[in-house]
Amino acid sequence: MLTLFTDTDTDFTPRVAAEYGFKLISMPYSIDGETFFPYQGYDEFDFHAFYDRLRGGVLPTTSALGEDAYLRCFEPEFAAGNDILYIHFSAAMTMTFQSMDKALAILKEKYPERKFYGIDTKGITIVSYLITRELGDRLKAGMSAEEAVAWAAKEVDNFSQYFFADDLKFFRRSGRVGGLAATMGGLIGLRPVIHMSQAGKMESLGTVKGRVQVMERLVKYVEDYGDEIKAHRFIIGHTDAPELARQLAGMLQERFGTDLEIEFVCTNPTAGSHCGPNGVGIAFHSKGRLQ
Amino acid sequence: MTETLTSERYLQMLRQGAARLEAHRTAINDLNVFPIPDGDTGDNMHMTLCGGTAAPATGGLGETARAASQGMLLGARGNSGVILSRFFAGIAKGLDGVRTADPQAFCLALDEGVRSAYGAVSDPVEGTMLTVLREGVAHAEGATYEAAFKAMIEEMKASLDRTPELLPVLKDAGVVDSGGAGVLCIMEGMLDALEGRLSEASAPAVATSRPAADLDRFGPDSELTFGYCTEFLLRLQTAKVGDPEQFDVTQVREWLDRVGESVVCFREGSIVKVHVHTRTPGDILSHAQRWGEFLTVKIENMTLQHSGVTIRNPFSPTRAVEAATPVAAAPEEPFTQRQRRYAVVAVASGEGLIQAFRDAGVEEVIEGGQTMNPSAADFLAAFDRAQAGTLFVFPNNSNILLTARQAASLYDKAEVIVLPSKDVGAGYLAAASVDRSCKDPAGIRTAAEAAIASAVTVHVSRANRNARMDGVTVHEGDFIAYGHDRILCACARRHEAALQAVQALSIADHDVALVFRGQDPPAEEAEQLVSELQARCPRTEVILSEGGQPIHDYIITLC
Repeated sequence: MLTLFTDTDTDFTPRVAAEYGFKLISMPYSIDGETFFPYQGYDEFDFHAFYDRLRGGVLPTTSALGEDAYLRCFEPEFAAGNDILYIHFSAAMTMTFQSMDKALAILKEKYPERKFYGIDTKGITIVSYLITRELGDRLKAGMSAEEAVAWAAKEVDNFSQYFFADDLKFFRRSGRVGGLAATMGGLIGLRPVIHMSQAGKMESLGTVKGRVQVMERLVKYVEDYGDEIKAHRFIIGHTDAPELARQLAGMLQERFGTDLEIEFVCTNPTAGSHCGPNGVGIAFHSKGRLQ
Repeated sequence: MTETLTSERYLQMLRQGAARLEAHRTAINDLNVFPIPDGDTGDNMHMTLCGGTAAPATGGLGETARAASQGMLLGARGNSGVILSRFFAGIAKGLDGVRTADPQAFCLALDEGVRSAYGAVSDPVEGTMLTVLREGVAHAEGATYEAAFKAMIEEMKASLDRTPELLPVLKDAGVVDSGGAGVLCIMEGMLDALEGRLSEASAPAVATSRPAADLDRFGPDSELTFGYCTEFLLRLQTAKVGDPEQFDVTQVREWLDRVGESVVCFREGSIVKVHVHTRTPGDILSHAQRWGEFLTVKIENMTLQHSGVTIRNPFSPTRAVEAATPVAAAPEEPFTQRQRRYAVVAVASGEGLIQAFRDAGVEEVIEGGQTMNPSAADFLAAFDRAQAGTLFVFPNNSNILLTARQAASLYDKAEVIVLPSKDVGAGYLAAASVDRSCKDPAGIRTAAEAAIASAVTVHVSRANRNARMDGVTVHEGDFIAYGHDRILCACARRHEAALQAVQALSIADHDVALVFRGQDPPAEEAEQLVSELQARCPRTEVILSEGGQPIHDYIITLC
């Protein structure tokens, strides 16, 4: 049997994971020295309360999982004779997957006949959500693990993600965005636009002044790079900014038609710890990612 | 009749000029072009002049004039204060090296003062105090000082009366130039001294309209954050240093630079004047006593001076240890080792605005603004605290720009770039845009200048008198909105004035509107204003900030 795994950094919730039979690996964040594991022991997360704490000045940190965490997740499956397909967030953004590789090396010794398939979505949050959903649909329809890996090798770069942040202090602290100007632009309506690169990293595309203008920039990216967008899912993610998300959806449907179906996702708290509140982004099928 | 001027008499004239100015400063403050209570020319000129009246009356007239002008250069506040300080610096230059001066020599020095005053501004405007100085000084001649001053004052009065004809903005406001009135007042006071009409000397501490120090700001559990502003006059003692005239004051200055901040130190004859910021004034005084004995000592806790402002501790632990260590053992810490690459220094008033600047990453916020102009010395102290290789300075008021430039010209420990931000909104916008990752300071400067140029700011304030300006009739109590140095509208309701003004400035053409709520409007009113602005201009992002600033109920910057 094949056991499916994904992680909470793909924005998968227990409810969505259950649709496809995914097991969910929880990626931790810490506030004031206390570490939290999203959805461990509960199914619903209070996004508004979390982002309100960030608005109040809390600056969370995130940390990588250790190899023992992966051993605890994977070993029972191998011991039961199951193979594993893990669709995960970008390995280029974290040390977590080095721990996973160490755990897999140990398990390979113990369970040499078992197979592990890894698919790197080369993204985090909504683009990973979109790819994991697309793969979930196909796996549900009978796609094999090998076929899924082959599909991902060809298709992952065709799913793009663009988003803007409202306050740079979260990114500045994490240092996870390349080319970001060291300014406090959010205070004056100047927002950085960021995308997920082919290398699976967040890169700045510069700044845009004004809330409407920055959303128009996102719409323009769909115009310029979108490809068969209605044949795939179209995701809007936000860090507790539902009104902005709806406004952006209206602008997209005005431009591309009301038959553009849009799914709204609230960004998981671990990734949200780096973005801060009031950010909005889109993930869609494209002609390809930017470098 | 006075035919020869000595250093003592010159200082007496300056003090009497300050005393007369103090008596009239409120009237001069009220000679305000805009009908709102933010005039401060009298305060600024008085505080500037008082910076020079503490000079020692030792040595010759030239030395005293130079010491007085140095004090004024550091104490200069506002454009009128900077021009005044340059006027007296020119006089000092004209008197360089002389022990006494006859009226003719002094009149030539006055000419030098006028040239120096004109040099203070890049684009001199006639109808201002520059005109009054120039025209008055041109008539200063006579066999005695009294005659020369009377002739000069007569012409200054006539010149002052003509200022509204030269500057339409004065005519519209129905006032004469406030700076011109200030210099006339000073010259009249100097004539009072010449003619023996002496009153009690003016001191800056009683003349300022700044609030008195709040002693409760430093309580039993307070930590000494800012140290002490320590000033003293030291009479060099022959028994300790030999001939005082041969004493090299450089050794004192270099020692002070090692153990303190914001050092001013010079010798006039056998008196050494010292100004230094330190955590341990006792050590400074004990050490200084090896050279002489004190004539006056003044020590002030700077926490009280910085009332209401949160400023980073200028005394690092290393620095504090150094200050407490005996001088012979104190290793000199190269300034460069304490530096960051860039720092931003900005002027703001209002608790919220000061915090907004700090949130925007500004390293040093100097509390000040339209009615409370910081002095050049305030800037120098902030430059020291910032400890950076390159300083970007945002004065945020056209009346503070010259002071900032004067301070920059006096500072040699860092590259100082003064940006021409003439209002707090444009300054905030530009300061928040400073990209500290940029390797080239010129790039930051260009970006900041572009941000300032792109900003349009509207101020909303309550009128304190009737007026007719720029085609707008203003009634006392109205709310006026003005931008680009002109009144845009006057309305009975505050938020209506704000709405009309931003509409007049085509808010819809701008991507962002920053609204700073002042200390008077209720929060609900400001939120209502923002909602209405947002509804009228959906493409413009309207951002509300709690400015808490005095005078201006709203400051709205479009960018």
